[in-house]
Amino acid sequence: MADKIAVVNGGAGGIGQAVVKRLARAGYAIYILDSNQQAGQATVDQLRQEDCQAEYRAVELRNGAEIKSVFAAIERDTERIDLLVNLAGGTLHKHPIQEFPLAEWREVIDVNLKATFLCCQAVCQPMRQRRTGVIINTSSNFGITGGAGRTAYAAAKAAVIAFTKSLAVEMAPHGVRVNAIAPGLTATARVRRGYSDTQWSQLGERIPMGRAADPSEIAEGVAFLASEESGYITGQTLHVNGGMIFN
Amino acid sequence: MARLVSQIAIVTGAGQGIGRAIALGMAREGAKIVVADLNATTAIAVQEEIVAGGGTALAVQTDISDEESVRATVAMALQEFGRLDILVNNAGIFPTSPVEEMKEQEWDRVIGTNLVGTFLCSKSVAPQMLAQRSGRIISLTSGRAFHGAKHGAHYAASKAGIIGFSKSLALELAPSGITVNVICPGITDTAQPRGHQTEEQIYAQGQRIPLGRIGQPEDLVGPAIFLASDAAGFITGQTILANGGGIMW
Repeated sequence: MADKIAVVNGGAGGIGQAVVKRLARAGYAIYILDSNQQAGQATVDQLRQEDCQAEYRAVELRNGAEIKSVFAAIERDTERIDLLVNLAGGTLHKHPIQEFPLAEWREVIDVNLKATFLCCQAVCQPMRQRRTGVIINTSSNFGITGGAGRTAYAAAKAAVIAFTKSLAVEMAPHGVRVNAIAPGLTATARVRRGYSDTQWSQLGERIPMGRAADPSEIAEGVAFLASEESGYITGQTLHVNGGMIFN
Repeated sequence: MARLVSQIAIVTGAGQGIGRAIALGMAREGAKIVVADLNATTAIAVQEEIVAGGGTALAVQTDISDEESVRATVAMALQEFGRLDILVNNAGIFPTSPVEEMKEQEWDRVIGTNLVGTFLCSKSVAPQMLAQRSGRIISLTSGRAFHGAKHGAHYAASKAGIIGFSKSLALELAPSGITVNVICPGITDTAQPRGHQTEEQIYAQGQRIPLGRIGQPEDLVGPAIFLASDAAGFITGQTILANGGGIMW
């Protein structure tokens, strides 16, 4: 049994897969929460082939009761969650404001912001009781710059930053650190599919370092925030974006 | 696994406090350290400490506010080690005066050391890093850059200047694969705050910090090594606040 337990919400996504691999290498046993059952199970199988401990739990991010019971079950089995990484989310819907259906706008906020809140809430009490724990939420460069068509996503990701700061203040007296990571353009399969080759290289040219991030580079940032090396860092947002925007 | 094996790092102000901790920490990760400090005695002491721990170090007396001195230090580093991978701009001074009474000379000395010194050191290592097409520049700012400093207007200005400077330098050097970032400590348990605060005042501040204590020099070592390592290769132009949540940005 690994001596540290990490729950990675969205652990089967493009960035998620890189994060769980990196955390497994750092000695965590991984619980992957993901709505995509096929990808979730495949990621777990891959980790197990590399002799890492991994479990998959299906979770529907808009179902608060389900989130609660999934975390309660993990807590019951492991009696410890050392690390929670909330990666699940995404732009989901892009529309000009005048055409943005309320239901879709709400979905973006629910999946990116509310699910982060619910997952944090689920681990806060046990982490507080054990007086140790690390939480890492995911913002985005869009949370700082905004983006046309992304009023919902940018609002949710900006909100994640303020939520993270508030939770950091609440949890600091109990030995729990809460930070956010803000990836810039990242070369996951899903993101890459959204652009033609020409568009993709043009996007890269607008980034000071001249290219998109590899998912493994986001994973390194997560690993740093999870580690003792960042033991005096809380309430902060780590931007991994090749200089696309500066904090 | 050591993360900075055979990397050459210049750490300014490495004779004491945060600079010393970063120098020792990077040496533990396998880096060879140029221990640059205005005070030759403390620089030599840290060099000996690194060597005693099985590392490699070169003490050089350096006045970062003096271009000739900085050039000479970089030249000595290159002569000794042949390359340059990391610059840590840590050296700085923090005298205090109310603005009304602040002498222009004191203003010039603080800006000239903290901000211009950071510029001079960065400028002097840039040609070698550009030739190598690799390098890491890490500068230390302060919480004072964000919330100001009563009786320390020059210091706060110099430290905020370091952030603006670093972002600009990040843009200039990114195409060559060189990253430029900033680390922001909060109040740290070193000699510096003792110049103008009592022990009681220093420790009382810990209660107002979310993580419940003031910083230790060691708290800055992990962030510095991270920014210098391969793991942070896509991070540039950023400021990492390692301050117990004292300021969240």
